Amino acid sequence: MEIRPILSALLRSKTAPLLVAIQVALTLAGLVNALYIVDLRLAASARASGVADEASVFHITTSPVTKPSHEQAMAQRQRDLEVLRALPGVAAASWTNQMPVARSGTTSSYSIDRKQQRPSLLMGTYFAPPGLIDTLGLRLVEGRDFQPGDVLEIDESKDHPDGTFPTTAILSRRAAEALYPGTSALGKPVYLGTGASAPEMRVIGVVETLQTPFAQAGAEGEHSILIPLSVAGQYPRIAVRADRGQRDRAMADAEAALRKMSLAPRVVILRSTEQDRTGRYRNERTLAWMLVAVSGLLLLVTGSGIVGMTMLRISQRRKQIGVRRALGARRIDIVRHFVVENVLVSTAGIAFGLVLGLVLNRLLVTHLQLSPLPPYYLVGGALALWALGILAVSGPAWRAAGIPPATATRSV
Amino acid sequence: MLRYYLLLGVRNLVRSPLLTGLMVLTLAVGVAASISTLTILHVMSGDPIPHKSDRLLVPLVDNGPVRNYVPGTQPDDRQLSYRDAANLRRSGQGMRRTAIYDVAGAIEPERPDLPVDQAAGLAVDADFFAMFEVPFLRGAPWTAAEDASRARVVVLGKSRAEKTFGAQDALGKTLRMFGQDFRVVGVLDTWRPVPRYPRLQNGSGGALAGEDGIYIPFATATDLEIPNTASTSCDQDAAPKAGYAGFLDSECTWIQFWFEIASSSDRAALHQHLTRYAAEQRRLGRLPRDAPVQLFDVMEWLRYMNVVSNDARLATWLAFGFLVLCLVNTTGLLLAKFSSRAPEVGVRRALGATRGAIIRQFLAEAAVVGLAGGLVGLLLSLGALALIAQQARQLSMVARMDWVMLGTTFLIALATSLLAGLLPTWRAAQVTPALQLKSQ
Amino acid sequence: MLRMHNLSKVYRTQMIETHALRGFDIDVREGEFVTVTGPSGSGKTTFLNIAGLLETFDGGEFTLDGVDVRGMRDAARSRLRNEKLGFIFQGFNLIPDLDLFDNVDVPLRYRGFGAAERRERIEAALADVGLASRKRHYPAELSGGQQQRVAIARALAGSPRLLLADEPTGNLDSQMARSVMELLEDINARGTTILMVTHDPELAIRAQRNVHIVDGQVSDVLRHPASLVEGGGRTATSLQ
Repeated sequence: MEIRPILSALLRSKTAPLLVAIQVALTLAGLVNALYIVDLRLAASARASGVADEASVFHITTSPVTKPSHEQAMAQRQRDLEVLRALPGVAAASWTNQMPVARSGTTSSYSIDRKQQRPSLLMGTYFAPPGLIDTLGLRLVEGRDFQPGDVLEIDESKDHPDGTFPTTAILSRRAAEALYPGTSALGKPVYLGTGASAPEMRVIGVVETLQTPFAQAGAEGEHSILIPLSVAGQYPRIAVRADRGQRDRAMADAEAALRKMSLAPRVVILRSTEQDRTGRYRNERTLAWMLVAVSGLLLLVTGSGIVGMTMLRISQRRKQIGVRRALGARRIDIVRHFVVENVLVSTAGIAFGLVLGLVLNRLLVTHLQLSPLPPYYLVGGALALWALGILAVSGPAWRAAGIPPATATRSV
Repeated sequence: MLRYYLLLGVRNLVRSPLLTGLMVLTLAVGVAASISTLTILHVMSGDPIPHKSDRLLVPLVDNGPVRNYVPGTQPDDRQLSYRDAANLRRSGQGMRRTAIYDVAGAIEPERPDLPVDQAAGLAVDADFFAMFEVPFLRGAPWTAAEDASRARVVVLGKSRAEKTFGAQDALGKTLRMFGQDFRVVGVLDTWRPVPRYPRLQNGSGGALAGEDGIYIPFATATDLEIPNTASTSCDQDAAPKAGYAGFLDSECTWIQFWFEIASSSDRAALHQHLTRYAAEQRRLGRLPRDAPVQLFDVMEWLRYMNVVSNDARLATWLAFGFLVLCLVNTTGLLLAKFSSRAPEVGVRRALGATRGAIIRQFLAEAAVVGLAGGLVGLLLSLGALALIAQQARQLSMVARMDWVMLGTTFLIALATSLLAGLLPTWRAAQVTPALQLKSQ
Repeated sequence: MLRMHNLSKVYRTQMIETHALRGFDIDVREGEFVTVTGPSGSGKTTFLNIAGLLETFDGGEFTLDGVDVRGMRDAARSRLRNEKLGFIFQGFNLIPDLDLFDNVDVPLRYRGFGAAERRERIEAALADVGLASRKRHYPAELSGGQQQRVAIARALAGSPRLLLADEPTGNLDSQMARSVMELLEDINARGTTILMVTHDPELAIRAQRNVHIVDGQVSDVLRHPASLVEGGGRTATSLQ
């Protein structure tokens, strides 16, 4: 195929091809960045929380109308647990202070040496009894779960000597690796805060995954610690795992049962982990779908732009095409002419678009904390736009190839 | 003559519906994308109380520990400790002042087995209502005397009052919350500032959505030992002593504070006072960081609190990039359309049209495309906003169009189409009359 | 009415200079019907374009209805064209997107007439060419002869002083051509000066005067060519 004559024809009427090239460049730059963000957001919202079967797990938060004494609160919690465990369809129930991805909970800083100036790690802090690991379906990969003897009950309304704190802890794997990179954290100390009075705990177990309630982006979202501390708390919370497929019925039963057995009026709120997940990632998903829609529109608009421009160039060259046909060009030759022309224009646009895409990504990195674009996005985007160009040009080109050779001899 | 050009534009566009439709749609989609994102940005970054936003000020006292502190960095939290809030309440500085924190309680039903209704709201000082110009439907704010006596009084938000009392007049009624009987002294009219600038870090919907149901005196709330339900930040080195008293005495930060000054020129004096206050506290052994006290007016505070999220900015950037693409595309389509009309230009020029007349005619045609694109774009953006509001409840309050944005829609559509029309029009005006006369 | 003296026009490309007109002299008096003939490339279209103020010229003098048009700016030439000249083209050059009424309306709009006057003139012009009843039809719905009549109506609606016609019958069959020619003669009889380029010797000799152009110069002016109808072979030969 003779490229040189096509190129010189292009250079003689620059405006229309230039407009197409600009469109291709803008589309490529927008597309790769938008899709990269979509991928990041969707990947983030698909991260495992550590709960084995999220469809079966829910949690109940009760808040008493008047503040009960420590003893009353503990008694109420014990009775709630007994009632819940007795319900048909409930497989397990444990008290906790917070749930993964539920967007409400406690984060504290920890260190591995009291003499540290700055703490080592900020971790989502779960106050957990023996059995919470089982209720949530967390996978214990090292060590053991808590035993009843590990649990320390503290009455928050009373003063306690410094350092009154549980002495054992279980870490998520990510947290263990961050605190003790390269070695097993099992048996090693973790301190709450820093300084001489920071309470010391020994790591007795490591779970595969446990996200924090906030499920932050990056590794931070998986830095969790379980501590066997039993307090009344402002909002007593109970995690429940229903039998598979029984969650909705179990939730309804649990709500009715807890209301019936309330001694004092209290607010009872039930939420499934699935609801928590939807709520946590709603904004991510909205943005992702918005970007997908914009990406689709980008391709559509550019595709229609290429179709329009090809049709313009064909209508300008009807006679020329007729002459070519009269001189023996086959239909495929005419199609090839326009396709090659488009590929040349697209390539120029793509080259410019790659630069533009990287510049845009650089801007997003500096202004909006995005991570740098992986190169394969650029390759994929370039291929997609080449394909789009060929696809968009071939329809009008086939129609152009249908121009009869007799056009050449007609004067008007 | 403009009417003639517009008429010609409409007629020409109607006579090639496919190309016109494509142009109008391209433009509409571009306009809709930018307008819907811009609307969100516009509402998010708007001034919620324009006539006094420079007279409402937030003080920020850094009471963090000196360990881990890098001088010049911002405080760990953006709230105040009870100790600072209490001192500032007593200071008498500014024309009005209020401390704010989040409370959530349950409204006790008559029988224990009935479902309990949860009510969330704010603990504030009496000045709150005047400072933020909160509209009252019934009654009035409680008095300073009631603040001092820790009266059990409550002001209800409009929807809260309707939910609890239905069609009855709530004023003077009693609500049992936090184990106490609260007397309703006022009912608010609809009040939903966007953003919710008085308390951005709230526990009931965030900076943009949600509504407070109850307002009780700050002094009453702390007297009843009602805990804060929004974020509380405590440093591990200075863990609070046991009990509520220990908590109040700690360096935990959990209170939002506002001053109202009589004139924006009083700001320097207030700042000076706060700096003296911090120095005095430092002499008493507090505030080890020795960081300067900061003061923010409403707009500064919204910026400091990053009310406009990066996602909103990102979406707006992308949408405008998309609009540029639509602009280039429309330019191409107009070029195709106008260049096919070169014979017409030749004839018109021969019949006495000046180059200017041709330019006006074709720009008017582009403008017609712009107006049509604006109209379709407006409908599309209303649809998009409805979809966004439905998808993200956080955005439901900001995904609303006002007159400014309505005007902006047409302005953007018109500007885009005229910009897109410039090159094709210029090319059309270059057609020399002589060349096109010989044959069609 | 139209007077050119020693006029020249040169087309330049990067490599060649073509002298389309040189030392060109012509004087068309008011009320005349002049035909212009000449072989392809002789410069007759260039002459007509310059006469119609569609193209500029490089040297010489040109006055149109007493106005010296040398160095006139584009906008001024457009106005002069609009007020004093009417055009009829071989390809009719009606605007396909406008109906007959609006086509005739085009020059009147640029003239700046009020709505009432425009309507009056358009209806009169269309009536003159016998198409008043079809004013809301589009050009594509008419025969070639009818389209050319509309073009004539459009040219006349603004009451031009000079009508320029470029092969007005070139695309028409002989019967239609004759009727268009009769219409033009009728218009001329009512006082409008006409300058017509044609290939057709039969038409050329029907005019009061025929100007023959060869190589960008007037080679021959025949007065009262009608007297030569019998021995018309001379004109025909020179056309080859």
